[in-house]
Amino acid sequence: MSRGGRWAAWAVILGAIVWSAVATEVSAGRMIEGLPFMWDFLRRMVPPDLSVLGNALRGAVETIQIAVVGTVAAAVLALPMGFAAARNAAPPWLFYGARGVLNAFRAVDTLVYALFFVAAVGLGPFPGVLAVVVYTATVLAKLYSEAIEAIEPGPVEAVRATGATALQALRWGVLPQLVPQFLSFTLYRFETNIRAAAVLGFVGAGGIGFYIQTYLRLLNYPAAATVLLVLIGLVMIVDFASSRLRARLV
Amino acid sequence: MIRVRGLRKDYPGCPRALDGVDLEIGRGEFVALIGPSGAGKSTLLRCLNGLVTPTAGEVWIGDQAVTGASSDVLRRVRARVGFVFQQFNLLRRLSVLDNALLGRLAHASRWRSLLGWFEPADLAKAETILTRVGLEGLGSRRVDTLSGGQQQRVAIARALLQQPAVVLADEPMSSLDPALAHTVMELLRRINREDGITVVASLHVMELAQSYGQRIIGLSRGRVVHDGPPASLDATATTRIFGSTAA
Repeated sequence: MSRGGRWAAWAVILGAIVWSAVATEVSAGRMIEGLPFMWDFLRRMVPPDLSVLGNALRGAVETIQIAVVGTVAAAVLALPMGFAAARNAAPPWLFYGARGVLNAFRAVDTLVYALFFVAAVGLGPFPGVLAVVVYTATVLAKLYSEAIEAIEPGPVEAVRATGATALQALRWGVLPQLVPQFLSFTLYRFETNIRAAAVLGFVGAGGIGFYIQTYLRLLNYPAAATVLLVLIGLVMIVDFASSRLRARLV
Repeated sequence: MIRVRGLRKDYPGCPRALDGVDLEIGRGEFVALIGPSGAGKSTLLRCLNGLVTPTAGEVWIGDQAVTGASSDVLRRVRARVGFVFQQFNLLRRLSVLDNALLGRLAHASRWRSLLGWFEPADLAKAETILTRVGLEGLGSRRVDTLSGGQQQRVAIARALLQQPAVVLADEPMSSLDPALAHTVMELLRRINREDGITVVASLHVMELAQSYGQRIIGLSRGRVVHDGPPASLDATATTRIFGSTAA
């Protein structure tokens, strides 16, 4: 790139940042004015009100349940979709169609799907599960398809060369290359879904988010603090366990 | 054991990878296939077990035609032909034992093999052969934790478990350093001598070809340009195979 071109590129980037900052009313003054309120907010949370621990744990369990059912159902749906969206496994018409559909559905996040499903099937954890399923299935299908496209043909050929049937070659040449990766991706999405399911309650789709939102609305900060602590603990435990498991898989 | 008649293979953009190959290889021979890269060594070996379908010509293994065979017949032929690849082509996340047992797939009951239930007899065979190739006690190790030389021995164990009449080896040592190359060639020589298995190995190192091959077949541009015992491989023959630039 010429020197002039480089200056022009920097000018455009800088311009975009300033333009965005002005438009979003970024103001150091307001931030500083707000500091005492933030401090006040945190101070009122202490000490956490442990009498709501039961509710918090109930919410946490429901969040785990939403993530478990949602992730498993999504993985099952993603399996055929992943093969349909793999260049080396599907005919071109199917491949391009599947890629298009997946990209469109993946553009919208879980929380938006939750709003839609709450409107469709009513309040509670079920619309939360549906929201997790739709978004996760499309993400997993994309990840699965990339793993399928990265299969090494050599070992498959070697299995066929022993006189194996097509089914045996699939079982012993293809699956050992895919299954550990599929499980690892699925566990990773489960981790992410715990966090996603934690905010589902804000739109009435069940889980621990419902209690956070309720206590904040009631200005019951000590109770909200307890629920937040449970959420932090939950996310940390799931992340730790899941990453340990994934390390053993791949 | 192996008969090849008028074998030709055209690839798109690479016509005449094989350009009329005629060969006869007897039971129990140890043949070294040499030639510059692109001479058609891999293509020839892959035509022998039907991994590559030739454009024209015939291949027979024993009394079975490979060319034009139904997929059923082809599987039966392949069951008796072991193939050792340059890149080993093992399932890296599976254990040494599982990889070796893949050599039993064509012999095992189909649905049991899909579940990974191999016969106790097959397990015993696998243990014996792993010991024989020098991998005793490593059966439960994941293949990707082994060295290159060990991995190639797993691949040879897989081929041996087929109880093959023929073992085809495509540059079996070119991913290995020279010392390991000798161990692998030594192993192929042993199965040739002790079990009477016919071995056809493509090699690009002349010295290995001459010290292990009982018969040297030289390929150049898809044609057989030399065929004889190691002693016959003089300067003229070398030039014919590798061209005048070869030392």
